[in-house]
Amino acid sequence: MSLSRSPSPKPGGGWASPGLNTPYVDVSGRSSPGKAYRTNGAGANTVTWESAKAKSEGVNSYPSFSTQNNGFFTRHYRTISNSLPRFNMGRGPEKSYAEKEKLGRGRWSSRDGSKIAKLGNFLGRISYKMRLRLLAILAVIVLIIIFYTTPLHYYWRRAKHLGGGKKHVIILAANQGGGVMEWKGPREWAIERDSVRNKRKYAKRWGYELEIVDMSTKKRYAHEWRESWEKVDTIRNCLRKYPDAEWFWWMDLNTFVMEPSYSLQSHIFNNLAANTYRDINQYNPLNITHPFDSPYLDEEALSVNGDGKDSSINLIVPQDCSGFNLGSFFIKRSAWTDRLLDVWWDPVGYEQKHMEWEHKEQDALEFLYINQPWIRPHTAFIEQRKINSFPPGACSENGNDDRIHYNEKDRDFVVNMAGCEWGRDCWGEMYNYRELSNYLNRNWWELFKEEIVAVIWFKITGHKVKL
Amino acid sequence: MHLALPTRKSSHPPAYANRSSRYPMLRRSRVQAILIGLCAVGVLLFLCSHIFGGGERIPSGTPPVVIVTVVDEENYSSQYIKNIKENRIEYARKHGYTTFFPTIKDYDLKGSPASWTRVPAVRHALTKFPFTTYVWYLDQNSLIMNPDLAVETHIMNPKVLESLMIKDQSIVPPDSVIKTFSHLKGENVDLVVTQDKEGLAQGSFIVRRGAWSKFFLDTWFDPLYRSYNFQRADTHALEHIVQWHPTILSKLALVPQRKMNSYGRASVTDESGAYKDGDFVIRFHGCEQMGRDCQAEADPFSKQWRTVFHAR
Repeated sequence: MSLSRSPSPKPGGGWASPGLNTPYVDVSGRSSPGKAYRTNGAGANTVTWESAKAKSEGVNSYPSFSTQNNGFFTRHYRTISNSLPRFNMGRGPEKSYAEKEKLGRGRWSSRDGSKIAKLGNFLGRISYKMRLRLLAILAVIVLIIIFYTTPLHYYWRRAKHLGGGKKHVIILAANQGGGVMEWKGPREWAIERDSVRNKRKYAKRWGYELEIVDMSTKKRYAHEWRESWEKVDTIRNCLRKYPDAEWFWWMDLNTFVMEPSYSLQSHIFNNLAANTYRDINQYNPLNITHPFDSPYLDEEALSVNGDGKDSSINLIVPQDCSGFNLGSFFIKRSAWTDRLLDVWWDPVGYEQKHMEWEHKEQDALEFLYINQPWIRPHTAFIEQRKINSFPPGACSENGNDDRIHYNEKDRDFVVNMAGCEWGRDCWGEMYNYRELSNYLNRNWWELFKEEIVAVIWFKITGHKVKL
Repeated sequence: MHLALPTRKSSHPPAYANRSSRYPMLRRSRVQAILIGLCAVGVLLFLCSHIFGGGERIPSGTPPVVIVTVVDEENYSSQYIKNIKENRIEYARKHGYTTFFPTIKDYDLKGSPASWTRVPAVRHALTKFPFTTYVWYLDQNSLIMNPDLAVETHIMNPKVLESLMIKDQSIVPPDSVIKTFSHLKGENVDLVVTQDKEGLAQGSFIVRRGAWSKFFLDTWFDPLYRSYNFQRADTHALEHIVQWHPTILSKLALVPQRKMNSYGRASVTDESGAYKDGDFVIRFHGCEQMGRDCQAEADPFSKQWRTVFHAR
């Protein structure tokens, strides 16, 4: 029951005070306290006939005025009164009107009490709706924290239709050329340990699959020598082993993921068209004629970009200073890929070219790309530094090249220490890049320790400290 | 402020209660109607795109089959070539097919034997007739003898093809280890060839259009095969890729030789492949060799096909 007007005296004497049993009297903070009305009449507890009648009238018969939500004031009673300044009244039983001076009556509320009390006061005053909203925001924040502190986010990122991590498989070629060819020393073991740990951490972070394959030279093919084409068999095995996966990322052992915070999706696959190019003329170290000039070929094979759709890209290869580089490349599950893997190695080609093809399967792929028109519309290239930056030692005949060499300012994604086994120090490079990656990706606590505390300490004491 | 009595009510009550909603246009029932309408439109668009836009649109009037014959104008008389062309054209006209006659000089083979021309020729046909379902390559030393047989129903229909295909058959007879698949569905077949006594006979083969056919032809035409000096050039290259690459073998169906590649009597064949009246095609296999004359061998059949074609 609400009032549209303030209580008023009835002609028969006494007060019609239908608001007595409403909450407003106690909490609304109106300037005229209900108590005063009560005591004003024939005493605190006397109830006149008229007043009782008026009261029961309010309950039993039709009220003299509508009690529904009519009138601006009634509807916005609460909001308005909440926003009004509060007078100090009716707080606690000890504050009676007898001690006028202590009440601070008629003055602004002092809003005394601690901060917690203030907060409680605030919470008490905000409306129910607002309280719900605040609760919802709080719940969202709590849920986000729970999401990232529990393995929940891992499963989310892994799931096929949410994060899509299961769609990506990293194939890491361990033990390349090992086995019968050479023994592994402590440095080789260390390289392998670091490289595997790096990929494992990366794969775990984003929910990808990691397949570590043993590439040691084995007498796998009794009747023909096709070492380093095992890549093909390995990819085929992975296609079978991970039926949910879409993209397979081949990585040599001498690679290092420098920026584990980049996901493959955000780094490459969410915007494939912008991150790759199909027109090899953009960067063409092999001087391949592109597109074909044979007039009998179809439009797609003659176009520079194939059909131009993202979905038709099945192979993503970086190019270094001397052509394709298969140290880090992507291949997609498709019928086209099956065909490519099938014809990649062919005895007739091998017999004629194995002396020429120094880089074996890499040269064979280049040959296929150059000669077989069905390959080109589905092959895309990626700027080398997106997935395969070289250290200064590789491809260095012409000095440092922006397109090839790692630059820590740009935070390149992956370093491939290609060719380090020929006259360079693989373990040294691996170690340096590992440390650099850790340095670049320090978390806020490490940053705080090293950039603030250690610096201040150095200024005060003159000693460098390692925290 | 304190009024003793309520104010007098107006004697003219408002005709309708005020609507409390801020957006009078968006009544609940109306919102529902709008949402349902939007959903319906979306579903309709989806269905339409699936019915009409699904896959590529094949223009009407596209011939279902193109017959490709590479003609050698240097070594054969123009009369012989005219006869060959007429034979294909008349057959094609009967079934609504089309024909394509490139010459041997049209393609740059970079020094490989002329018989390789068939591969770029078929590739060219796929380019030229991008919506035609089947490309039938028919060698110039052959004639279509039975105009009633249509390629799609007589050979390429999946059901028919399943009954025709020779399963578990060595690619190179009599005993090569690589054999044709024993469980192959008719609709998965993209290449139909026949086999004679010596191996695959690519004088007459049918390719279905698609990404696979481009892959197959490009692989077949690889320069390393052309430079390899296979004894019988493209024939052996074909046998090679079929045996070494399962993605090719898995799309290939062998059909009985007389279905589309019967040999004339003088040709190398066992009895099962020899031409009998009523067969689809006769081929004068090996007639280009020394001591034989294609034109003389073809002559009696040239008259025969004309009478057969015109009798109906």
